[in-house]
Amino acid sequence: MSLASAMTDAAALAWYRRPWLGVLSRSLAAIFGGYALASASAVVLALLPVAPSQAVLTGMMVGVLVCACAALWAFAAASAWRAWAGLVVPTLLLFAIAWLQQGAA
Amino acid sequence: MSALTWMAISLGYAGFTALCLAMERHHAELFGKQAAAPQRRARWRWLGWTLLAVSFALCVQARGWGLGIVLWVGTLTASSLVLVLGLLPYRPRAIVPLAWAAPVLAAALWLALG
Amino acid sequence: MKHGFRQSMAWLHTWTGLLVGWLLLLIFMGGTASYYKQEISRWMRPELPLAAVDRDVALGSAEHYLREHAGDALSWNITLPDERAQVIEMYWMNPTPPEGASRRAAYGSATVDPRSGEEVAARDTTGGEFLYRLHFDLHYIPAIWARYIVGFCAMFMLVAIITGVITHKKIFKEFFTFRPGKGQRSWLDFHNVSAVLALPYHALITYTGIITLVFMYLPWGLSARYPSDEMRYYDESGNRIVDMREASGTPAPLLPLETLLASARRDLGGAAIENVAVNRPGDSTATVTFSAQPAALSKLAPSVMYDGVHGKLLERSPPPGGASQTYGVLYGLHMAHFADPALRLLFFVCGLLGCLMVASGAVLWAAKERPKHLKAGRIGFGLRLVDALNIGAIAGLPIAFASYFWANRLLPLGIEGRADWEANTFFLAWGAALLAAFVWPKRQMWAWQLYAGAALFGLIPLLNALTTGIHLGVTLPAGLWSLAGVDLVCLALGLCLGVAARRMQRWQPPLSAAQRRARAMAATESTHRPAPVGAGEGA
Repeated sequence: MSLASAMTDAAALAWYRRPWLGVLSRSLAAIFGGYALASASAVVLALLPVAPSQAVLTGMMVGVLVCACAALWAFAAASAWRAWAGLVVPTLLLFAIAWLQQGAA
Repeated sequence: MSALTWMAISLGYAGFTALCLAMERHHAELFGKQAAAPQRRARWRWLGWTLLAVSFALCVQARGWGLGIVLWVGTLTASSLVLVLGLLPYRPRAIVPLAWAAPVLAAALWLALG
Repeated sequence: MKHGFRQSMAWLHTWTGLLVGWLLLLIFMGGTASYYKQEISRWMRPELPLAAVDRDVALGSAEHYLREHAGDALSWNITLPDERAQVIEMYWMNPTPPEGASRRAAYGSATVDPRSGEEVAARDTTGGEFLYRLHFDLHYIPAIWARYIVGFCAMFMLVAIITGVITHKKIFKEFFTFRPGKGQRSWLDFHNVSAVLALPYHALITYTGIITLVFMYLPWGLSARYPSDEMRYYDESGNRIVDMREASGTPAPLLPLETLLASARRDLGGAAIENVAVNRPGDSTATVTFSAQPAALSKLAPSVMYDGVHGKLLERSPPPGGASQTYGVLYGLHMAHFADPALRLLFFVCGLLGCLMVASGAVLWAAKERPKHLKAGRIGFGLRLVDALNIGAIAGLPIAFASYFWANRLLPLGIEGRADWEANTFFLAWGAALLAAFVWPKRQMWAWQLYAGAALFGLIPLLNALTTGIHLGVTLPAGLWSLAGVDLVCLALGLCLGVAARRMQRWQPPLSAAQRRARAMAATESTHRPAPVGAGEGA
C-alpha cells in the first residue's frame, strides 16, 4: 500500500490519525528514542563492575548496535505508541539501573 | 598481486561456480533442463563448499587468523563478482573452463614464485 | 502502519537509503579514494625525487625542522614515513601568546622532506589528505558539525544495510542472479548483487566508521565511569600514554631524539616506530613517547615514554584488555593500515562496489516511481528532485574528483592558498554539475555528465605527460607502480564512465505490449510464418 493511496483513504480521518503523522512519530522515536536508549545502554554497561576502561568501551560498541536495532523496532512495532513505549520504557529502566549503580559505587 | 591472493581468488571462483551449478535455475541455464539431476547437484554443492574451505585454510595458514580471514572474505567478493557480473550474463560458456584453468594457473604461479 | 515486518523493513530501507544516499556517495567515494591517499599525495607532488627515502634519517630531519620552526611549542608530534608515505607529517601546539601580543593559531603543522629537512619542495597541495578528510570532516563547515552529520548518515546507512538483508527474501536463491537489459529488474538485480557480494565489507565499514568517532557520539559512558578525570581512561585503556604534567618552567636541553630511538626500538621488541610525541620540549620535565607501528589488524600498538632530558624509561603502555583489543581491531579494519597491495586493491574494489550499491539504489527508486508519473502525465516535484540529485551526485561527483586532479596539474604554482583552490575546484565542479542537473534532469544530461567524467578521468594520464615528468612513460618502465597506478586507475575509471555514458545515450525505451504485437505482425507478414504473440522481454 503506497503512501499516496493511504493518504487518499485517510482524507476522511481525523488529523491525528493521518498516516504521515504516524511516520513522523516513528521517525522521531527512532532518532531520539533510539539515541536515548543507546546512551542508557552505554552508561549501564560502562558502570559494570569490571575494569573501567573496558566497560566504557564495551558500552560504546554495543550502544551503536542498540541504536540501529531501536530504529528497526520503531518501524516494526504495531503502532506509533508501541514504538515509543518500546523505547522509552527500557530507557527509563536502564537509567534507573545506572542511578542505582552509581549510588552503590 | 601476491600468488596467495590469486590462488584464493581462483579457488573461490571455482567454488562459487560449483555452488552456482548446484542451483537448479543456473544449471538449467547453462546445461539444459535434462542435466539437472538432484544427486549431481548435491555433489557440486559439496565440491563448492570444499573449495571455499580450502581457500579459507590457505589464507589463514599463510597470514594468520585475523589477516587471513579478511583476505579470504575479500577474495570471495572478487571471485563472485567475476562470475556474477562478468561471465554468467555475458560469457556463460567460459565459466566452467575457467573454473578448471584458474586454480591450475594460480598453482603454477605459486610454484614459480617460490 | 505497513502490513508485516518485512514490508515495514522494506519501507525503512527505501527511506534510510534515499534520504542520505547522495551525501553517502560523497562519503563513500572519498573513503574509497583514501585507501590510496598516500599514493595520491605522492602523485600530486610531482617535484619530489623518485628515489625511496631512508627512514632512519627521518627522525633527525624532523627534529631539526621542529627545533628551528617550533622551538617554543608546548608539544611536538611526528609521524615517520613508511613504505607508502615518503614524507614526514608533523604538528605542534603553540603556546598561548601573552596579553597584548598578536594572536597565533593554536596548532602548527608541516610536511617535511626527510632528505632536506625542510618543508617539501613541491607544489602547495593537500594531496590525498583532502579526499581522506572530505569523507568525515566534509569541507567549509566546522569539523565537529561535519562529523555529527556524517555519523548521522552512517547510522542511516547501517539501518539501510540491516533492513536490506531482512527485506531481501531470496538472498541465497538470487545470489548469482544478474539479468542485464531488463530495465527495472536489472537495476534491482545489480543493487542486490553489489550489496550481497560485498555484504561483510559494507556492514563492517559502516559500523567501524561509526566506531572511529564513537567517543564523540556516545561519550556518556565515559563521563559516567570517569566523572572527574576522563584522561585517566586513555591511560588505562592501553590506547596511548597520557602525559599531563605541568611544565616546571626550568629550561633544560632536550636530548637529540635519535639517541632515544635505539632504546625505543629495543624496548618495543624490535618494532618499527610510527609516531614520536614530545611534551614540553626544552623544559626539565620534557618527555618523549615512541609508538610502534601496529603489527596486525588492531590499530593499537605499544608505546614507551622516556625522560626527555636524561633518557630514562618512564612508562610503558599497559597491555590492552579484551574490549580495547576489540576496539583496536574495529578501528584497524576501517583504516586498513595492515593491507598489503593485493588486499588494498580488494578493499578499493569493495569501496567502489559500495558506491555502486548506493547509486543503483537511488536510480532504482526513480525507475520504480517513473511509471506512475508518466501515467499521470507529468513528473512530480519529488521525482524531479531525485532525478536531479541522482545525476548531480552519481555523475557529478566523478567530475568533481577528476577536476581536483586537473586543478593539481594546472593551477599556477605560486598562487596564494593554492591548496585551498584545489579543494575549491572540487566543489566548483560539483556545484556546476548539480546546477546543470537541476536545470535539465533528463537522460541526455546523464549522458553528458558521464561523458564529461569519462573525459576528465580518461585524459589524466595525457595531462600528466604534458605537465610533469612522472607520467606513464617514465613510471611504467621504472616499475614505480604506486605512481603509475594512479594514472592507470584514472584511465580505467574513465573507460567505465565512458561505457556507462554510451549506454545511457543509446538506451531505447522498452516497447509496450501493443507495440511488440505490431512488430510481430509486421514480421509475420513479411515472412509468411506465424510468430508467437506476446513473446519478448518485459520491462
